[in-house]
Amino acid sequence: MSTAAVTLRPGTPGRTGFSIQFAFLPVLLIAVVVGMSLASPQFYGPINILNILRNASLLTIVACGQAIVIIAGGFDLSVGAVIALASVVTAKVMGMAAAAFPGNDAAIIACGVLAGLCSGLAVGLVNGICVAKLKVSGFVVTLGTMSAAAGVGLMITSGIPVYGMPESFVKGFGRAQFFGLPTAIYVAIAVVLVMVLVQRRTLFGRYVFAIGGNAEATTNSGVSINRYVIGTYVLSGVLAATTGILLTAQVGSGQASFGGDRMMLQSIAAAVIGGVSLRGGIGRVEIVTVSALFLTILGNALNLLRIDSRLQPVFLGIIMVAAVAAEELSRRRKTRG
Amino acid sequence: MADLAPALALAETSARSRWREQLWQWALPIALVVLFLAFATADSRVFSPANLLNIAQQTSYVALFAMAQAVVIITRGFDLSLGPAVSMVSVGAAVAMTAAVTNGSDPVSVLFIGLIAGLALGAATGLFNGVVIALLGVSPFVATLGSYNIAIGIATTLSAGKPVQGMPDLFSTLLYRGNVFGVPAAIVITVIVGVILHVALTRTVFGRSLYIVGTNPRAAAVAGIPVRRVLVCAYALCSSLAALGALMLTARTGSGEPNLGGSLSLQAIAAAVVGGTSLAGGRGGVGTAVLGALFVTVLSNGMNLTRIDGYVQMVVLGAIIIVGVVLDRARLGTR
Repeated sequence: MSTAAVTLRPGTPGRTGFSIQFAFLPVLLIAVVVGMSLASPQFYGPINILNILRNASLLTIVACGQAIVIIAGGFDLSVGAVIALASVVTAKVMGMAAAAFPGNDAAIIACGVLAGLCSGLAVGLVNGICVAKLKVSGFVVTLGTMSAAAGVGLMITSGIPVYGMPESFVKGFGRAQFFGLPTAIYVAIAVVLVMVLVQRRTLFGRYVFAIGGNAEATTNSGVSINRYVIGTYVLSGVLAATTGILLTAQVGSGQASFGGDRMMLQSIAAAVIGGVSLRGGIGRVEIVTVSALFLTILGNALNLLRIDSRLQPVFLGIIMVAAVAAEELSRRRKTRG
Repeated sequence: MADLAPALALAETSARSRWREQLWQWALPIALVVLFLAFATADSRVFSPANLLNIAQQTSYVALFAMAQAVVIITRGFDLSLGPAVSMVSVGAAVAMTAAVTNGSDPVSVLFIGLIAGLALGAATGLFNGVVIALLGVSPFVATLGSYNIAIGIATTLSAGKPVQGMPDLFSTLLYRGNVFGVPAAIVITVIVGVILHVALTRTVFGRSLYIVGTNPRAAAVAGIPVRRVLVCAYALCSSLAALGALMLTARTGSGEPNLGGSLSLQAIAAAVVGGTSLAGGRGGVGTAVLGALFVTVLSNGMNLTRIDGYVQMVVLGAIIIVGVVLDRARLGTR
């Protein structure tokens, strides 16, 4: 019975699960890549690789924000809806700005991108304030804002794609390639680098770990945790909005159907498989990136192997549960021994 | 005499806080009545007997799923796989029944095959969730997210993505079209299940252990409660109730639908939570689930009749969820 008590609520989060993930995930990733390269020559074709990298970038950006929220002990279910909202707002504002400053593409793009990021910031702020000030659980608050943000996105568009963005935004940014790589990859690399620095070198990063590890102890050590909790949700909202804007630029229209539940669940899956503990206090952004890449390659591999798309969720579900169960069991063995 | 003043003040504040607590307890029922009267004045059809019956019937489905969620929310968990499990049960029961029909079984045995197949699929989902959560120590979120994906995959594969048709009429007669003294089958079933569940939660050892496990799992383990077994049973019960709801919905649509569950998981959690079931565990029950379900149903029924745009309804529902939980916090704070 004592083991049950220990496993249900371990007092202090250890680093054991983290080190397992650190070794385990890259090995798994390499195994999938090698196996797929042997099984299907299409896999290492340049078009497929670019496709994988682009999708992985979009997922990585959302998953980084999600990871920070989870490390601080929260949850962000609203990211999928924020992607849709930011996409719609960006496209709509660009359409209006085009009427206001005809021909001035730089101003139009700046207005649109800024408005899109602000929509993510606004949702993140509502999430953060409700969680930090009103002490409501993150799960329910973001469940509410998810419904609300999706509703606002659909209201703005009536469910129809929004066109009317400047050509230079779509051709010169969204679909452009620098040194053979799409822009989304550079944005993702920049986001990951900044987030790694934030986690390792800033007070914000350290406090996020501390709050997730033990919020009460952090408060008692004199940290006003509210602003950092709000910060995590704002960060997650802004990063989700960034993905929304990148998707909009790539597709060439603002759509309320972007993101959605699928992206939200995938971002949480990427964070959790990447070793972020849902109990808070543990997780590294760079491993979440590897995990996002792994999930994207896995989906791509299942497609290339012609596994029925209807069966694919089954594999995703089993792998997710197995990954977390393996981490949990190894942690239990350590605490027992 | 001088030291009586603080004592009096204390008595006064405690009386005031008790009054405030009472107010919070009644906040949601009062809001429900106000909402209903407001819609009734805006549109006379709201108060018509046909619409009242419609609300009652619609509430019975939502209430059943909210009760299912409440069982696991009480233990400090939740079940994201409820929606996909509903789809899977719907498709599985329909496939089993059509297979039995083509084998030439008589309608009664077809009906039993369908009911048993559906409930067994539900129980299996719940057992999977429970075992992964209780024995492997995986968080409810990840475990039920895993079974969410698995159930979606099974539902769409079994049905090839299309509705499964060819069920006997007896099935929809029993679970949808039938009535007892004019009360539709769905309402009768939900009331019976609700009463049994209420008794189980409040009067049995299993029911009380759910609350203790949710309030303080460590204390529960120390007190000798078989925490793991209780958790496995809670998830199995949750999914079995969801399976019953799925069979009722299938009887209503008349075919096994691979996307019947849709966003039902989150809707059911929202209904339970708005009614006052606490995600922190240990509080809630049949009453809170039914109250939340009634509130959500009256809200959407009223907004439909007063022709409020469906997209605006999503925003309102989101706001209501947040306000509901803030009220819940306030209610806790006064204790």
